Amino acid sequence: MIKSYKLRRIVSNTLIYALLIILGIIWISPFVYLVMHSFRAEGLIAVDYLVPREWTFQNYIDLFTGAGGSASINFPKWFLNTLIVAIFSCIIATVSVLMVSYAFSRLRFKSRKKFMNVGMILGMFPGFMTMIAIYYLLKAMNLTGTLVALVICYSCGAGLGFQISKGFFDTVPRALDEAATIDGATKNQIFWKIILPMSKPIVVYTVLTSFIGPWTDFILAKIIMGDNIEYYTVAIGLQKMLSNDFINTYYKQFLAGSVIVAVPITLLFLKMQKYYVEGVTAGGVKG
Amino acid sequence: MTYVEYKQLNPFQRFAYNFKKFILNIPHALAKFFKAIGRAIVRFFTGIGKGFKNYGVTFVKGDWATKLSYLIFGVGDIHNGKYYKGILFFLVEVLYAVFMVSFGWTYLQKFDTLGTQVTHQDFNEMGIPTTVYGDNSMLILLYSVLTIVITVVVFAVYIANIKDAYRHQVLRAEGKKPTSLKTDVKEFLDGKYHITLLSFPVLMISIFNILPLIFMVLIAFTNYDQSHLPPGTLFTWIGFDNFGSLFNFVDSAAKATTFIELTKWTLIWAVVATFSNYILGMIVALMINKKGIKLKALWRTLFVIAIAVPQFVSLLLMNQMLQTNGAINIILEYFNGGVNPQIQFLNSTTLMARMTVIIVNLWVGIPYTILSMSGILMNIPEDLYESARIDGAGPVKTFTKITLPYMIFVTTPQLITSFVGNINNFNVIFLLTGGGPSTEEFYQAGRTDILVTWLFNLTMNSQDYGLAAAIGILVFIVCATLSLLIYNNSKSMRDEEAFS
Amino acid sequence: MKKILAILMAGVLTATAFAGCGEGASNTGSDSGSGSSQGSQAAGIDSAVVDYKYFGEEDNVKLKVWAPDAAVSLIKQQIEEFKKTYSEKTFDITVIAQGESDAATQMLNDASVAADVFGLPSDQLNKLVDAGVIAPVAKGFVDYVTSSNSEDTIKAGTLKNSKGEDTLYAYPETNDNGYYLVYDNTVVTAEDAKTLEGTLEACKKANKKFIFDAGDGFYACTFAFTGGVKIDGLEDGITQKFVDYDEDEAVKTLQAFARLIKKYKGTFTSLNVKNVASGFANGTCGAGVDGSWDTAVNMKSLGDKFGAAKLPTINVDGEDKQLVSMFGYKYIGVNGSSKYPASAQILALYLAGEDCQKQRTEELGWGPSNINVQKDPIVTESAVLNAIKDQSLNSCTQVNIASTFWTPMGNLGNKLVADEWDPEDTAATKKLLQDTITNIRDEG
Repeated sequence: MIKSYKLRRIVSNTLIYALLIILGIIWISPFVYLVMHSFRAEGLIAVDYLVPREWTFQNYIDLFTGAGGSASINFPKWFLNTLIVAIFSCIIATVSVLMVSYAFSRLRFKSRKKFMNVGMILGMFPGFMTMIAIYYLLKAMNLTGTLVALVICYSCGAGLGFQISKGFFDTVPRALDEAATIDGATKNQIFWKIILPMSKPIVVYTVLTSFIGPWTDFILAKIIMGDNIEYYTVAIGLQKMLSNDFINTYYKQFLAGSVIVAVPITLLFLKMQKYYVEGVTAGGVKG
Repeated sequence: MTYVEYKQLNPFQRFAYNFKKFILNIPHALAKFFKAIGRAIVRFFTGIGKGFKNYGVTFVKGDWATKLSYLIFGVGDIHNGKYYKGILFFLVEVLYAVFMVSFGWTYLQKFDTLGTQVTHQDFNEMGIPTTVYGDNSMLILLYSVLTIVITVVVFAVYIANIKDAYRHQVLRAEGKKPTSLKTDVKEFLDGKYHITLLSFPVLMISIFNILPLIFMVLIAFTNYDQSHLPPGTLFTWIGFDNFGSLFNFVDSAAKATTFIELTKWTLIWAVVATFSNYILGMIVALMINKKGIKLKALWRTLFVIAIAVPQFVSLLLMNQMLQTNGAINIILEYFNGGVNPQIQFLNSTTLMARMTVIIVNLWVGIPYTILSMSGILMNIPEDLYESARIDGAGPVKTFTKITLPYMIFVTTPQLITSFVGNINNFNVIFLLTGGGPSTEEFYQAGRTDILVTWLFNLTMNSQDYGLAAAIGILVFIVCATLSLLIYNNSKSMRDEEAFS
Repeated sequence: MKKILAILMAGVLTATAFAGCGEGASNTGSDSGSGSSQGSQAAGIDSAVVDYKYFGEEDNVKLKVWAPDAAVSLIKQQIEEFKKTYSEKTFDITVIAQGESDAATQMLNDASVAADVFGLPSDQLNKLVDAGVIAPVAKGFVDYVTSSNSEDTIKAGTLKNSKGEDTLYAYPETNDNGYYLVYDNTVVTAEDAKTLEGTLEACKKANKKFIFDAGDGFYACTFAFTGGVKIDGLEDGITQKFVDYDEDEAVKTLQAFARLIKKYKGTFTSLNVKNVASGFANGTCGAGVDGSWDTAVNMKSLGDKFGAAKLPTINVDGEDKQLVSMFGYKYIGVNGSSKYPASAQILALYLAGEDCQKQRTEELGWGPSNINVQKDPIVTESAVLNAIKDQSLNSCTQVNIASTFWTPMGNLGNKLVADEWDPEDTAATKKLLQDTITNIRDEG
């Protein structure tokens, strides 16, 4: 009996390992392809074979020295733009999300539920509907084509994404607040001194998601930036490399640029994975 | 069914029972939902009525300063010694007056027609064409909405000003002094802390979410499209015509067909994408988290990379890999005796393209499921397993009796969020197929387009803003009804404080 | 005998040219007099450089120009020349790389932030005119522009304004916006390149691809046009008009295409045209149909092996039929909401002038619309420009095309190249053609 149980476990584990290896290969292969071809020397755009025939660093060098020949491609500047936007919008977004979710989770006030329902409803309109209006609003403020506009766009709606962190705050025992209140702490002090220090997972989760946003958005940013190429973010810049005018010259640089964008985000993600899991688990479950 | 009977069911039966109950409950819940809306409306109007009553009563009871506050903001507060607040109130009124005179009124007065003066071209004395600017319907509408929103806010301030004046008048009559600025600030950090926390986010959301939304909702009732495009031409109100054209199979057959077909596919897509991701993601998560499986971190990492790489990169790559000369066909070549099978994954048959989209979406979505599941799986109380083992339950039984029911119970809200998310899942479709395969039956859409990608095409490619807004509203109604229903009936929402 | 043949051929050529589809009654005869006859005081001009009086009060001019990326540096040089020419005024002119195909969309989205002067292909003109965002050519310039550019480009650039008068809306820039056959001459011989069958066979032998973007309506309309389908302007400014055509003939031609595609599966590949140059570069492509905009990169990829010809013929029931393509022109347009309308007009006139066109022909290989440059040896001796010119005689003019034209045509192409399409199914082919036409004409 024991033997067969052991045997069965070995068989099932082997099967699982085999499956995991296959799945792992499937999941990782696009990136292997991406990285390999970013080092490809020959050809212009996609090629008909899997492994490059000649290898080179030239694509990366060209990407940073702007050797492709067009003055309108400036990847280092785009990278910097994106970094600036990401840092600022991540700070503002994180602060807003935490403020909103703390208020909804811990404070009891008139029409709290109403506010929450309105918040949830607003989140359900398809985002593309409002792009045009946002564009003209920003234009009225004379902000179109600037990085400030992007920061505003990425951070202003963040407060609506309070659900997950509210769920997280809900799991922090209320007894803590009560004890602190008895000790004479104000709500403000409770927020900063008690709740926030206990909320590392959700803070990291919020920071991470709002930091990544600007690196991946290629729709709203394009509308706001228009033809102001100097202030493009990497996402629209890389998209531009794939447009008809550029693709034959810049396709390989596009691959290199994608690797450069993907690597830091991946590392960040891997490092923060633990908190991400904790945050999304605690918050998401309670919805 | 009694409680005892319920407890005797196995988890699957319980789930089925609950599911059935939920489905049967929908009409009732819907009725409740609409009744609640009705009640809210009634409450709103009685509230207004009461407001008017109070408005009159306060005026009768008020002293001269309170009465003057009905005209000039803040007079009551200043008279009663609450200087800083009075000055703030007064400033609001001054700023509003300046705003209305210099800006708001010029647009608001054209709100009913959205402009009558058409912009046109003329030639100057040198024969150079110049543009003579007329009205711009879009700006009239946008700035009118802005003015209306500001007016509503100022009205709220006005009412607050009157209430405050009367309150301070009463305080003074009782011989009490108004609170100092310092105490008020302290109060904002404690008793009224929610105002401090919420005001900034609410302000931002009002300007950049609510205001644009009101604008776009109004756009749905105009003929803002390619032939009515400001600044060159004007657009105007057309009532429900945009909505009508989505259901009119006679006059606008292409639009109506597209709408119906895309709605069907959007729902199929959302259901299939959500459940396939959920179930398969859970299986992978279970495999990774199984006892005795080593290198857990490595496995998880392999999947997590898929989240970290921007989707426009990974999906564009996928698109290329699925072309007839792409990587997938090259790999298949090895299994096909050296002949490239030239499978057209993305633009031959509808079925093939839809399957491809769903499979690629698995690639995108499963890592998210794994991440959220892993945490929950680790959180399943160990003693549950312990007692099951003592009872002699095998691994299959443990799974069906403990793991599965626990997961389903715990992750229902997530399932709903991801369902709504999939209805609005733009990236996968847009970047992978671009809506293709193309078809002669649809208006500005392809076979794999879902409603939001259609909405996007209508806005960005064919400037059918009015129609796009109408579609947006319909998508919203579906999503909002669904989620409100489920949220307000789900356990985790009702037991908000269960854990604390 | 030779003489007779020559006369006959000339006759046939003129006939085809006149049968070309853009010949719609609506646009004929851009009345060159209309500009000056409307009582403006402006006298005509006789070169691309004009008197200062046309600037009016404008000075310290700030302008934005959109040009395709490949042309940006040359346009910048030309703008420096422009500044020198008008040295009494000060200019601040920026040039931004913006693909011409997107220009109209960008203009329609928000004209007030778009370029003052921009390049655009002929088919986008009607959209811009409808929306009232493009300024017509200045009255005093019309006569000069009309007389110095080829008749076709003027005709295609003349549309009805809101009062129903024929108005020239943009400055002709090129006469080359079309596609042709480009091939690797070590794979395909000039003889092979005359027929589609020959080209495909040669590519198959060399185990190389023939690339044709059947999913894009711009190329896919060749299938229908070759079978005799013809467009003829717009009805009421929206609906695409079609000339009567022999449906059976068109269906037969479509079937002939589908048969060839099926027969040469693996050789005939429907891919984005960008794969042509790439395929030449890594030796997987033997021939392809690509446009003038990719000439430079194709030449670079092939080097000495570069070959160009008009589109080949296809054998339909024993008769060799010339492939008929879509052919258009490029223009320089002026934004109606420009803050410096006079300067923008003068700059556009300058950039579209003879000297600038010649420079662009020399450096970028663009086919000029200016009649003097067209006679220049650099044009008459260019293999590519000749191929384009030959093909333009067998083409439909890309003007007054309904926005609903492209998608159904692309769909037709997609269907023909799909694995499961049966070339022998006459009924299905007929239905496909009918559906396509219905959809193009349907306004939704």
